[in-house]
Amino acid sequence: MKSPGGTAVQARGVRKRFGTIAALDGIDLEIRRGEIYGLLGPNGSGKTTFIRCLAGLLRIDAGTITLLGTQPRDAVAGGRIGYMTQTAALYADLSVDENLAFFAQLQGIADAAARVDETLRTVELLDRRRSTVSTLSGGMKTRVSLAAALLHQPDVLLLDEPTVGVDPVLRQEFWRHFRELSARGVTILVSSHVMDEASRCDRLGLIRAGRVLAEGSAAELVSRAGARDLESAFLSLAGTDAADQATGDGRA
Amino acid sequence: MNVRRVVAVAERIALGFRRDRRSLALLLVAPLVVLTLVGLVWGSTAETIPNITFVTDRGNLPPAIASRVADAFARSSAVRAQSGTFDDGMAALRDGRTDGIVWLEGATLHITIEGSDPLRSGSIASAVQKALGEALAGIGAAIGANLPIAVTAPRIEIDRLYGSADYTLLDYLAPVLIAFFAFFFIFLLSAVSFLRERTSGTLERLMATPLRRGELVVGYLAGFSVFALLQAVVIIAFTVFVLKVQYRGNLATIFVVEAIMVIGAVSLGLLVSAAARNELQAVQFVPIVLLPQVFLSGLLIPISQLPDYLRPLSAILPLTYANEALKAVMIKGFPIGDPLVLRDIAVLVAFGAIVAAGAVASIRREVA
Repeated sequence: MKSPGGTAVQARGVRKRFGTIAALDGIDLEIRRGEIYGLLGPNGSGKTTFIRCLAGLLRIDAGTITLLGTQPRDAVAGGRIGYMTQTAALYADLSVDENLAFFAQLQGIADAAARVDETLRTVELLDRRRSTVSTLSGGMKTRVSLAAALLHQPDVLLLDEPTVGVDPVLRQEFWRHFRELSARGVTILVSSHVMDEASRCDRLGLIRAGRVLAEGSAAELVSRAGARDLESAFLSLAGTDAADQATGDGRA
Repeated sequence: MNVRRVVAVAERIALGFRRDRRSLALLLVAPLVVLTLVGLVWGSTAETIPNITFVTDRGNLPPAIASRVADAFARSSAVRAQSGTFDDGMAALRDGRTDGIVWLEGATLHITIEGSDPLRSGSIASAVQKALGEALAGIGAAIGANLPIAVTAPRIEIDRLYGSADYTLLDYLAPVLIAFFAFFFIFLLSAVSFLRERTSGTLERLMATPLRRGELVVGYLAGFSVFALLQAVVIIAFTVFVLKVQYRGNLATIFVVEAIMVIGAVSLGLLVSAAARNELQAVQFVPIVLLPQVFLSGLLIPISQLPDYLRPLSAILPLTYANEALKAVMIKGFPIGDPLVLRDIAVLVAFGAIVAAGAVASIRREVA
């Protein structure tokens, strides 16, 4: 059983350049086991790049990343990381079942069929298991995508904007799942630019231009900025550039 | 290399094919349609017999001999001939009613042809020479020394080391066509399929699982090879049993050569998909990859007839070796153990291995 406490994710001075653009410009952060950590920042701030580094998909130029005490690639190879991409990233011509069975095989799950059943029950898609993915609604695809990330019961879940395009009811459900997983000791990193979602995280990191600007719980960040709410706190902490990019619809 | 994960990838591809019936049908039916057409065009032994006009008001043959030659031309099986004046003949040539006009002057046989089609030109000239040979042989005994040119046209008998006189063009082309179709369809399908993996984000998701890049490529090779070989069986059976192409070698050997070639084609598809951003671009790679192989691999033009500076290029094309091996097996009846066939197979294996390694590297470039 996963022991609570201790560090699940540690990043020290992580840098990553794409050509002339410094996508990550010295990221430092630590996520404790069983914590839900929200990575909050405007579009293009480096959230996805950082998550891809954690998932072992990008090689960093400088700094260190430790996941569960090992390198990202080793943690991935050991089946300890669940990664949910921003888009659903499924095989559209295969059924829900076939997609999940495929990922279960890649993860080397012994009793794949039972695990697929169980995961489908979790995301409440048992009744659509035989449907071809291309016929599903956007929200259902997102649920399948989440299921694919959960199948192998990873210790760390990396969720890149998991609730984009998801209706409020389903979003509520997702967060209930995330809480349950966290209670079982699963560490969750969620990237988002939706404030209402950010306030549900245990701790937040505000990221902009590849740097972590501020860290803390939602309440801490609000009081530190002397702001009314998280959104104003974010705008004040992120500086005017981010305020320019912010729109009035609850996104920053 | 984890076999279970490789098999999972191969099964996923097979499942995709089963869902995508249209691609499967194209893979299996399209080559048969094209081969049938090719069979109809090139499969007949009947040569077209040119129409010629024997000119009576030109040249310096004595009238008695000229009329005998004209008669002999008219009886010849190599040409359909009529006699006429030079001006009538030229008019007929311009209108396309005759293929060539012919007269003898001294020891020179004059043939005027339309000349816009080099392939046709050659066959007219040789048909006229053959007809003249027949004509002279027929009247030579009677006229003898009076003839201005050599009387004794030799009878020509051709013996073949390989093939036979009743081989049609299709019989000679079948081996290279089999190789070409397999290469073409499998290359295209694997390129587009892997491109989809890249653009839909599933490649990213795969790389965030314990699946290794090498396992992914080998899984792809395995999955596509199954369908490529299914296609090969259908094409070979169709050419042999329906088009009744004549062949000598062992069918199993043909199959082995093709299986190895196809692995290179799939790998090349995976590699090329790294250079394309969308499916339209991937399709545009088809002519770049395939047309040089059409012209330089011995498919249409024998490599020995290529200019020197193009031969090194043909030496690096996989279809060159597939064509050579399949021709050796099907037309010459070489066994799989023949040094030439073994060498070609070795080159195809090396090509497949190098390109597959390139495909693995192309995945690294994109994701860590």
